[in-house]
Amino acid sequence: MSTWYLSHQILIQSTFISLLLALSIQVPLRAGVFSFAGIGSYAIGAYTAAILTIRFQVPGIVAIGAGVLFAAVVGYLLALLVARLSGLYLGMATISFALFLAVVATNGGDLTGGATGLYGAISTVTTEHVLAVTAIVVLLLAANERGAFGRRVDAVREDPQLAVSLGIDVIRLRRTVFVISGALGACAGGMNSLLRTTVSPETIGFHLVVTALTMIIVGGALSWAGAAIGAVIFTWLPTVLQFVGEWQLLVYGFLVAIAAVYFPTGLLGLLQSGWRWFRARGRRIPAEGAGALEPDAAEEPERVLSALSSAEARQ
Amino acid sequence: MAQDVLNALTLGSLYLLFALGMSLAWGTIGILNFAHGSIFMFAAFSAHLIVRDVALPIVAVIAFGVLVGAALSVLLQVLAFEPIQRRAEDHRKAELQILVGGIGIAIIPLAIAQHLTRSVPFGYSAGTFSVTTWDLGFVRLSNIQLITLVTAFGLAGLIGWWLRAARPGLALRAIGVDSEVATMMGVDRRRLALLTMAVAGGLAGLAGVLLTYYLGSIAPETGDAFLLKAFAAIILGGVGSIAGVVVGALVLAGIETFVLVTTNGSWTPAIAFGLIFFMLLVRPNGLFGRQEVRRT
Repeated sequence: MSTWYLSHQILIQSTFISLLLALSIQVPLRAGVFSFAGIGSYAIGAYTAAILTIRFQVPGIVAIGAGVLFAAVVGYLLALLVARLSGLYLGMATISFALFLAVVATNGGDLTGGATGLYGAISTVTTEHVLAVTAIVVLLLAANERGAFGRRVDAVREDPQLAVSLGIDVIRLRRTVFVISGALGACAGGMNSLLRTTVSPETIGFHLVVTALTMIIVGGALSWAGAAIGAVIFTWLPTVLQFVGEWQLLVYGFLVAIAAVYFPTGLLGLLQSGWRWFRARGRRIPAEGAGALEPDAAEEPERVLSALSSAEARQ
Repeated sequence: MAQDVLNALTLGSLYLLFALGMSLAWGTIGILNFAHGSIFMFAAFSAHLIVRDVALPIVAVIAFGVLVGAALSVLLQVLAFEPIQRRAEDHRKAELQILVGGIGIAIIPLAIAQHLTRSVPFGYSAGTFSVTTWDLGFVRLSNIQLITLVTAFGLAGLIGWWLRAARPGLALRAIGVDSEVATMMGVDRRRLALLTMAVAGGLAGLAGVLLTYYLGSIAPETGDAFLLKAFAAIILGGVGSIAGVVVGALVLAGIETFVLVTTNGSWTPAIAFGLIFFMLLVRPNGLFGRQEVRRT
């Protein structure tokens, strides 16, 4: 176990960092906010942590914490700026925000190290720290996906107008989501640059958007667990499927395309509906004879309704 | 100075050809195709594969690129976007799925081209066409620049006229306003969507082949850069407006050329992103876009 752990340390680190990055897109997406600002926050976090570590030799936790705070503030300001936008327009605005930051990093002169980036950001951050941070983040997110707050987020995603009429402060929730997304992205970026001791503009780009989206879409966008499934799959797939080798990108493309077209709820959604089907089947089999009629009759209106709505959707 | 203007116009025409189809599909049938850049690149790449073996004249190369682009685009529509639009619960979710699906599909042609070329730029040096430059005194104009300018503005005018005056064009615009009512009025949404995607793909293929002739060679990654620039052009002009795309493409190319000439050029990639962000903040419907009412 421990030799395996040591020899796969880099992969373990990148699994958790990708998970945090994926969560920075998944959290807004769950609230129906199509924002890629998390990628920009990743850049902010990565550069802030590296600059603070190299120039002022601050401890790793302070460097990352400063990046997280800074990105959270930027996230709030961005939320105020793009408050009018929604859907694809919001997605495009936040993508351009993230890519703009990459160009800024290239042109930052001495502060950001230009096109070559920064080297030698040595700190005491270890895999255990990454694990602990990710565990706390996941616990908090999992708690927020349940109960009243979770239902509120669901309402805002499914029908913002309805949510407003139910007294949910949609605008405030959207701002909160931007702040959380900024903090998560910056946390991932900061930890990544301190663990790798380097950051360069090439590591921030459109490919990062693709990576994060890939994980969320294949895993499932509606829960942190989906992002976790995605992060594990796409970090470990290259090592498992070594024969895929140079066609790795092609496999990724196919996976994302198939998931986006045919399984919009991702692997998590498939697992959930499979589990529900399994349980429902288990319940019906023993109830033969007189008892069998009752649940059937109770399900009848529901089934009729769902048949109706699917017929409507097809039109 | 005059030379810079001409170069900006040529670049603008290439952006225009690329963005025209994307804007058309987005503004009418509601498909924001993120694989447009990949189609553009792969059409140019397929033409390269043919030209490598058979020395073809430019007309044949262009025709081949247009056909490949249109075929890929129609295939994408049938295999991915139609199923998404059929299955999605509502318009918003369909938009998102189309965007994500496009991003995923865009990887596939890119991976194939990168694998076959080993990421080395490709061109049409084996073809029969050669670039000749005429010196007009104040400016030097090459034959490929002339072809690009004429086709880009000609096609933009043609499509603009078709949308305004022809019956299918009117039907397509009706879909853009309200797809359900349009269907009730007897508009065949599916057929028009396929036609739109074919035209968009064909234009992308045309832009790809012309860009490859203009620059001599292009790398497989060029598609991604063009995609984001086309967004800037579309957002600047307003989604679905042909005049808007023309103005957007020319303004973007103009600013980029200006920055490239006056500075060392390291800020050039930021212009498109800055424009997108700025326009979405100040005027999300673009300079020529329709006003849209959104309540939340």
